[in-house]
Amino acid sequence: MTDPAALEPILPESERATTTFNDPGLTHSERYDAFVAHVHVGGKVEPRDWMPDEYRQGVLRFVEMHANSELMGVLPEREWILRAPTLKRKLALTAKVQDEVGHAQLLYRVAEDLGKPREQMLEDLLAGKTKFHNVFHYPTKTWADVGIIAWLVDAAAIVAQQALRDSSYGPYARTMKKICWEESVHIMHGRDVVVTMMNGTQNQRDMVQEALDRWWGPLMQMHGPRSDPAKDRDLFWRIKAKSSEELRQEFLGIYVPRIWELGLTLPDPELHYDEASGKWLYTEPDWSELKAVVTGHGPKSQERLEFRRLNYEETRWVRETVLATRAAA
Amino acid sequence: MTVGTTPAAGLDAAAREALAELLLTLADDEFVLGFWDSEWTGIAPMLEEDVAFSSLAQDEIGHARVYYELLAELTGDPADGIAFGREPEAYGHCRLLDHPRTDWAFSVARRYLYDTADAVRLEALSRSSYRPLADAVAKIRREETYHLMHGDVWLRRLATGGGEARTRLEEALEVLWPDALTVFTPLAREDVLLSTGMLPEPISVMQQRWLTRIAPTFAALGLPFPFLADDSIYRPTFPVDLGGGRTQHGDAFQWLWGEFTSVHRLEAGAVW
Repeated sequence: MTDPAALEPILPESERATTTFNDPGLTHSERYDAFVAHVHVGGKVEPRDWMPDEYRQGVLRFVEMHANSELMGVLPEREWILRAPTLKRKLALTAKVQDEVGHAQLLYRVAEDLGKPREQMLEDLLAGKTKFHNVFHYPTKTWADVGIIAWLVDAAAIVAQQALRDSSYGPYARTMKKICWEESVHIMHGRDVVVTMMNGTQNQRDMVQEALDRWWGPLMQMHGPRSDPAKDRDLFWRIKAKSSEELRQEFLGIYVPRIWELGLTLPDPELHYDEASGKWLYTEPDWSELKAVVTGHGPKSQERLEFRRLNYEETRWVRETVLATRAAA
Repeated sequence: MTVGTTPAAGLDAAAREALAELLLTLADDEFVLGFWDSEWTGIAPMLEEDVAFSSLAQDEIGHARVYYELLAELTGDPADGIAFGREPEAYGHCRLLDHPRTDWAFSVARRYLYDTADAVRLEALSRSSYRPLADAVAKIRREETYHLMHGDVWLRRLATGGGEARTRLEEALEVLWPDALTVFTPLAREDVLLSTGMLPEPISVMQQRWLTRIAPTFAALGLPFPFLADDSIYRPTFPVDLGGGRTQHGDAFQWLWGEFTSVHRLEAGAVW
């Protein structure tokens, strides 16, 4: 696996130490102001830099939820690995799901550096104390779901993730470069599954349309409700670079024409591009559904968490064996 | 027939039939193992092993594809049609691979037995007179080297891990040993394969070489090894029935087959 640090070498410690906020001779508020100024002009923060507690907590919460999402996102697609209908699809799907597990591993490592051990993060996830993205709380029903997830769920994710390559937290920004590259391969795989089915039989086309109809609501909710950019602390700290509405507009701008181009329809009569405002207009997504889903009340939330808890328990002896061997060595 | 230059077109009917049987056993072994292993994707004991086991599964499916494609060149049937289009009783994987995924110790034990046996088989096939097979095997062996290293680390780790790890490993081996020999189930037309050099040595010889090679590891780790060496020949201490070694499939495979053909069977002729 590529070490994210190898993709863009980080500044040597001697150079980093010259940044003002790392100077222990300054008062807290001087350091704080220097830190804010640093991230506001696009400066990167590294794990051993001094950072305000709010920043550390903010990055940790953000990256931990991202890692959780990669890990839980494995489950809906995993159900189809055994059912992939050709050798090529089987290879592509196993590789894709493997990538997601690999992303979870990379992201948990980034989060670990901020002070929370991986085991604690996994246990909090299994206990329902931390969250994962809304789209991974829904069921999959047919092979078309595999195409729609890899194409459109990953596309919506990549729009957000591409913006995160500019995150102020250096290890996260670098990790996102690797992840974005792999996600772009997933999108091609997903689109290929969808296009093949759309060029197939009427039943196959119907399967794709039915899956798209089911996924459209969650996709529109995925980036979250509009928020006041002035009050968004993740934006303030440059942990993320774009607001939820900017991301949704970007997703719609790229993908709605591509969806229509394949002869598919979208289940929102209000959806259209408004020339006057230069924006996509749409029926307001169901934000109460989003809130319920991400707090563990989605159609598959508890079943997936229970499945993961069960597997975590059943394989505990393996982790204990490995740790004991290491301790003895 | 000149060694190393036998093209598919140059084979007579008997040779084709014999080669097809060999290729199908190789392909089905890798295919079925790849499916069982891919069940760990997403739920392995730790993230690092999750990624590793997914790679193993992909390698096996990739190898299966290579063998199915060689078979497709012989028979004219598409590789996917061969892989997904047969009734369960027509699959030729060995009984060792008929067991379900079970727990981590079982997966480790099976992989160890299969990988070490497969390595002996591949060594021989790299000298096959059927050049496309020898070439394919040369590539496959490079990947299998890593599988062997991975398997060796885990076998030792569980064997020396004490307590639950050791107990689970021993239990898995007790179940698997009788079926491990079925990797080397004789083929119906082995005589043709041997006389043409497509199979460079008898399967029974490979079986002995395999046992000779792994015996020291099992002795060193004190793991079950139910064979007695008699004049350098390893004889099993349990009754052996290799009849049906590649044709008897149980409920676990019936279930697996139902899963992996479920989309393929939805609509005849549909392209996925």
